[in-house]
Amino acid sequence: MLARAAWPSAMLAAAAACVGAFELAEPRFPRIDFVTGWVLLFLALFLTAYNLRKKVAVLPLLSARIWLRVHSWVGLLATVVFGLHLRWQIPRGPLEAILAALFAAVTLSGIAGWWLSIAIPRRLTGAGGEIPYERIPVVMRGLRERAEALVVAAIPESGATTLADFYSARLSPFFSGPSNFASHVLGSRRALNGLLSEIGELKRYLGPVEMSSSVELAALVREKDTLDLHRAMQLTLKGWLFIHIPLTYGMLAFAAAHVVVVYAFSGGAR
Amino acid sequence: MSAIEVARLLRIAPFKDMDPANFPKSAQLQDILKNDARLRHFEAGEIIVREGDYGTSAFMVLSGSAEVVLSPGLPPRLVGRSEAKRRGIFRALAQLWSNSREQEVYRGVGARRGAVAGDPGSERGVVLQDVPRVLSGQRTATIEAGDVFGEIAALSRMPRTATILANAGGAEMLEIRWQGLRDLMRYAPQVRKFIDTIYRERALSTYLEELPFMRHLSTEAKRQLMDATQFETYGEYDWSGEYKQLMQSGSTASQEPTIAAEGDYPNGIVMVRAGFARVTQRYGRGHRTLNYLGSGSMYGFEEIAHNWRQPNNQVPLQYTLRVIGYTHVLVIPASVIESVVLPALPAALLPPLMGPAAGSRAPFAAEPESREAPSSLPPDVMEFVTKNRFYNGTEAMVIDMDRCTRCDDCVRACAATHDNNPRFLRHGPIHDNLMVAQACMHCTDPVCMIGCPTGAIHRETFHGNVVINPDSCIGCSACANHCPYGAIRMVEARDESGTIIVASDSKPINKATKCDLCIDQYGGPACERACPHDALKRMNLNTLKELADWIER
Repeated sequence: MLARAAWPSAMLAAAAACVGAFELAEPRFPRIDFVTGWVLLFLALFLTAYNLRKKVAVLPLLSARIWLRVHSWVGLLATVVFGLHLRWQIPRGPLEAILAALFAAVTLSGIAGWWLSIAIPRRLTGAGGEIPYERIPVVMRGLRERAEALVVAAIPESGATTLADFYSARLSPFFSGPSNFASHVLGSRRALNGLLSEIGELKRYLGPVEMSSSVELAALVREKDTLDLHRAMQLTLKGWLFIHIPLTYGMLAFAAAHVVVVYAFSGGAR
Repeated sequence: MSAIEVARLLRIAPFKDMDPANFPKSAQLQDILKNDARLRHFEAGEIIVREGDYGTSAFMVLSGSAEVVLSPGLPPRLVGRSEAKRRGIFRALAQLWSNSREQEVYRGVGARRGAVAGDPGSERGVVLQDVPRVLSGQRTATIEAGDVFGEIAALSRMPRTATILANAGGAEMLEIRWQGLRDLMRYAPQVRKFIDTIYRERALSTYLEELPFMRHLSTEAKRQLMDATQFETYGEYDWSGEYKQLMQSGSTASQEPTIAAEGDYPNGIVMVRAGFARVTQRYGRGHRTLNYLGSGSMYGFEEIAHNWRQPNNQVPLQYTLRVIGYTHVLVIPASVIESVVLPALPAALLPPLMGPAAGSRAPFAAEPESREAPSSLPPDVMEFVTKNRFYNGTEAMVIDMDRCTRCDDCVRACAATHDNNPRFLRHGPIHDNLMVAQACMHCTDPVCMIGCPTGAIHRETFHGNVVINPDSCIGCSACANHCPYGAIRMVEARDESGTIIVASDSKPINKATKCDLCIDQYGGPACERACPHDALKRMNLNTLKELADWIER
């Protein structure tokens, strides 16, 4: 418990120290914005270094677990420094406004990623049917083949095409590829329940052979739905980095431009 | 070994007394000597085996003599015992650009790190100077021509128990790989009898010393105990096939052979020497796993002590002890415990009397204490670990799926440090939120080593990790087939251009690959260091405490 409180406590203490130092120094150093700006840039570069750490797994640069902790808490500390740098006001220049917006987007996407990385693994574990992301298309294809074989086999045995027609109309799109991405991300089971309900409704028109096949078909639908859930959740977990990282590099590019512009129009920092 | 050397050996004892007719065509005596043995010459003071090292061979003194350092033992640094050399920081860094883009590029004999780290073939030849001074204050014993040593470590896949060095004048040794020794024991009865005898003489006293009550016994009492102790072995030495069959058939604890059964009269205490045994208790119509016992654990002492103290209120065995895989046990009869051990024990050291609630307690596991099943560990987790035989792993890769974001940073880190070929699969049996991934667990009992015809898969000398020497791996897949956990993968060797290397018969050359725990990298296993979410841990499942602590973190 104590160890868990250490990081937020340290961050709060560091944030308080930053604010205190700023309040003390501001009256004496009119150009303190240069200091906060450089500190902010340094923090941004340090935060970006976490991505580099992941690339150089061959070096003993502390564990990624420690890096992520530091990355998260220093990221939050950077928002305090960011506020001080902006003096808690919205910037008016277009370059500064874009830079501030990028900083906010990076921070928010980071917080979102943090939350996703805590919430989604539990959902995936709870759903069962663990599968590596790369294997999903293969398993999905296998499910489709099993479903189609089941439906086709029922035709000659039952002498009816009721189940096959239903499959073509309602289930073929479902089995042919990933489905219901948004439902899974939002945690809704409406799409699955809808399909299962339709299969249930269909039973009144089915003979014994098709009835038996429809039960198996419903099981395959559930299996496919779990697979879709894994795909959607794993894709979300992988995908947020494609927002966070490009935004970070965009922000760094604008920060570099900001430094150049500031020095060009300030007569140089002293 | 050359034909002349083999012929020479066949003229001396014990080989001259062996009946060649007892050996099958596939393992003729001369072939065993030719392929599994070699002659080695050690100069005076040269270390032959070192205490603590893992070895896979035994030695027979052909000429000269050797000195066994019994106690207190030589300091590891003095005998040159050190960890395998790691890559330099620049070599580690250079992997970023020097790694081939192709998987498992084979650069020729000796060029790969596996050949450096823990290669049994590398002759280190540490020679001690001023041996009399070094051995002053040490209790030693001399081994003469005809004696055999190193057989315990070789056959039990355990570390060497003593350092042995060549005496003045040097010594000529016959070194026999454990595979050869196993075959000799199988087909030459006198070798089996001889090994059994020296095992009783040398190893039993060491093993019995691990018992918590031994220090209270007199020399005579210890002798009585040793004489009465029986050896029993259960299960298959190579249990991987049996395990796979059981898993396919959906085995339950009740199908496993029983060493001692709940409700029976306690006839003796059972001490597990090698392998593992499952402790179960009746629950409903089945059997619930309460713990598993490994080397050094004891069973049945509480009941015997109780019955000795309260002869009018006798209790039967409270738990069943079952064989899982291969289990080697020592059994000390209850009569000896009652007449020799218990009277000598101070009252404070006697186990508590067994009350009506005894059956609901965690089973007595004796020493070491860490084997006590943590009360916080749910029974279903215990069953999961036992059923899948993960208790065998000293470095099992356990993943908390409630924390794992499936980012595969662990897989990428492994590939970055191993020729772009991740040496494990982030996939495996799952129970609740725990996954044990298909990564080499560096087992206590590495059955993968049993079938290797060249000894390419072996225990690294210092830590005992199981590693593969790619230079001597012939790609036969024996280890991969033997591994019960699917942790060894065969891959096609490639050249720098990515072309698959083929043998003279146009078949691709395969190599066995598996986790080597990043033995030559800084910082330990890259997979664990790469996990940002504290979801992956390499842990020793021989005992359950580490797992329980990790689950509760």
